Amino acid sequence: MTTNILIAGVGGQGLVLTTRVISMVALQSGFDVKTTDVIGLAQRGGMVWGSVRFGQAVHSPLIPKGDGDFLLGLEMLEGLRWASLLKPASTVILSRETIYPSRVLLEKEPYPADIPASLTAAGLRVVCIDAHSVAEKLGNLRLANTVLLGALSTCLPLPAATWLSALESAVPKHTVELNHTAFQEGASAFVAAT
Amino acid sequence: MRERVLLTGNQAIARGFWEAGGVVASSYPGSPTVEIMESLKDYADIQAHWAMNEKIALEIAIGGSFAGARSLVSMKHVGVNIAADPFMTFTQIRTNGGFVLVVGDDPGLSSSQNEQDSRFFAQFANCALLEPSNAQEAKDFVGIGLKISEQYGMPVIIRLTSTLCHSRSVVELSERTAPVTTSFIPDQARYCMLPPYANAQQYFMQERVTKLAAEATSLELDNYEDSGRREALLVTSGLPYQYLKELGAGLSVYKLGLCYPLPIARLKELAAEYSRVIVIEELMPFIEAQLQAAGLVVTGKEHFPFTGELTTERIKEGLEKAGLLPQSLKTTIDSPAVVHRSPLLCAGCPHRPVFHLLQKAKATVVGDIGCYSLGILPPFEVLKTNISMGASLGIIKGMAMAHEAANMAKPLVSVIGDGTLFHSGLSGFADLATTKHNITVIVLDNRTTAMTGGQPTPTTGELGEEPHTTNIAAVLMSLGIGDVTVADQFDYSSTKTVISDAMKRDGLSVVIVTRPCALNFRIREPHFYVDREICISCRACIGVNCPPISMQVYEGQSKKNSYINPHMCVGCSVCSQVCPVKAIKYSVARGEDQA
Repeated sequence: MTTNILIAGVGGQGLVLTTRVISMVALQSGFDVKTTDVIGLAQRGGMVWGSVRFGQAVHSPLIPKGDGDFLLGLEMLEGLRWASLLKPASTVILSRETIYPSRVLLEKEPYPADIPASLTAAGLRVVCIDAHSVAEKLGNLRLANTVLLGALSTCLPLPAATWLSALESAVPKHTVELNHTAFQEGASAFVAAT
Repeated sequence: MRERVLLTGNQAIARGFWEAGGVVASSYPGSPTVEIMESLKDYADIQAHWAMNEKIALEIAIGGSFAGARSLVSMKHVGVNIAADPFMTFTQIRTNGGFVLVVGDDPGLSSSQNEQDSRFFAQFANCALLEPSNAQEAKDFVGIGLKISEQYGMPVIIRLTSTLCHSRSVVELSERTAPVTTSFIPDQARYCMLPPYANAQQYFMQERVTKLAAEATSLELDNYEDSGRREALLVTSGLPYQYLKELGAGLSVYKLGLCYPLPIARLKELAAEYSRVIVIEELMPFIEAQLQAAGLVVTGKEHFPFTGELTTERIKEGLEKAGLLPQSLKTTIDSPAVVHRSPLLCAGCPHRPVFHLLQKAKATVVGDIGCYSLGILPPFEVLKTNISMGASLGIIKGMAMAHEAANMAKPLVSVIGDGTLFHSGLSGFADLATTKHNITVIVLDNRTTAMTGGQPTPTTGELGEEPHTTNIAAVLMSLGIGDVTVADQFDYSSTKTVISDAMKRDGLSVVIVTRPCALNFRIREPHFYVDREICISCRACIGVNCPPISMQVYEGQSKKNSYINPHMCVGCSVCSQVCPVKAIKYSVARGEDQA
């Protein structure tokens, strides 16, 4: 059994670090792991997405269409975009963050209305997390992804202590405590929302 | 037990070089292989260097190899085109210190201008080609490649692809083998490639490839998985092997590690046991054509696409088409079509005002390679050509010559960044120096190689902590170019005057704009905001296409006004300068120094 996690966001949101943390936790929990991050041109405000796959033996770093178990949307529209890779009835953890793409900035197209409702209509379980507000309250917007990781952690068979130690090794020293708090807040927010 | 860690394909290459006693490494940044050099720089006992272009990077590795040091050079696929000149002659020489060329191909063009299959360079250059399928192999193949290089006297190409470069998988670490230190021992017959020395090497190259092909299976780079079924043998390499494993098709697989030369004898022997042989490879039919040339009956590209990445789904479709898998449908989710998100210039990007004013001037602009290639996209759509590094300078000249011949001469403009200028623009400038045509070249000197993550250029110096600072104006004037103007593009109207005046003058005029990359140098000034009482909703500011600016309905209002997200704005001021009614204001009182 392989667990397939998709992570989707916008260039500059810190997706690579987020994928790295999840993959470290899975490795340290004794699983075989593969990940990928699609970066490059997309860094300049384009769409970025990544995957973490863990299980007994993982071959492809890419998640075949229809095999995704979880989707972590760092931004609403990007969450919507990648949902088609998920298994029916799987879980989407969606940040309430919105970042307008160029065509919306230029008023060529509207930003989709009520994304959580569209995802629910597609048969998915949607959990919205106001990661930005939590991060803002903690005094650092960059903590938003850690809040989302906390929410995701409640869905995965990976020990909480391993998450905390992986975060400790991945973030700047002076922010470890804040990241731990953000992680716990994310976990609580997920429980509160479900 | 050995330490097991997660590494990207790129990081694994660097680790493999370190473990194998590598000494000299060089590269020019290009996606997908940028991270190889960045990782190599973390090893204190490797001499790791960002070169000015791929040709120089490869020549540095040649020098290391000549002096007996194990050497590595890495680049993206199109870089090999630039480095091909020294490579094609170097390959004739019986290699001294192990030499590995790591090339990152980009099937699907996720961040490139073409999709070339660089494996053909191995055949072209009579040298070995290795294709790893995960990070562990990427690490191991560096050591094996260096051994092959020394044992058979040939350079070795390790071919990666974008997904392999950027994906992480588990790698078992080893210790470093101490390098054998030597120095260059002159031997003209060996190292001076001209007749008659070079004539003899033609035979040598043939012999070494034949020898390697004969001994290929003893290197244990390949893997034969016998399913017991005999309807087809699937021959594959690299990531497609992993996709095939993911699919679990239950067919026999011959996974190649060495893709040039191929272990033909072994494959012939196996093929005789099977009804069909099918090759699964990304991009061109490289393996397929070699097997056909050797007289095997094989198919491949008639089932699988020749462009884009091969995924598990595409392999499944191909095997279904070939009649080897039953058609099956998976339940998937219907999700609506979603607005596309194309990359755009960062908040505070110094290229923005230049594109904006070139768009307003309706200039014909020849483009070049860098972040500023985004000037091709809406809303600017200013750049009308995009080919290769430094190509703008030759192209603009040729265009002017054609226009002159047709009596249709008009002012032409091109843009080139500082990284690209030093990569391959200097000779183009020397060529243009004496032109009589009306040509204006705008040098976008943002002091870094921005697109690939901010590697240094010769002009990084005064902002970063680099040893030297090169003054582009002085360099160009020393080439005999007299018409050189330096401008600050965040002073929109004066830059507009400088550029439009330059476009009126015959001969070459150069305008150097000097604002640095906001992202790389972490430039963050207090933000601007929209005074809604003054804003006339004309959307002039939206036209600069900056991520923080959008049209919003403010609370209690009915029509839209522009809005600047204060968390995203870095205070470059460009939107405020294009606003016709001065509705965009600085969030703090300006001191005289910021006027």
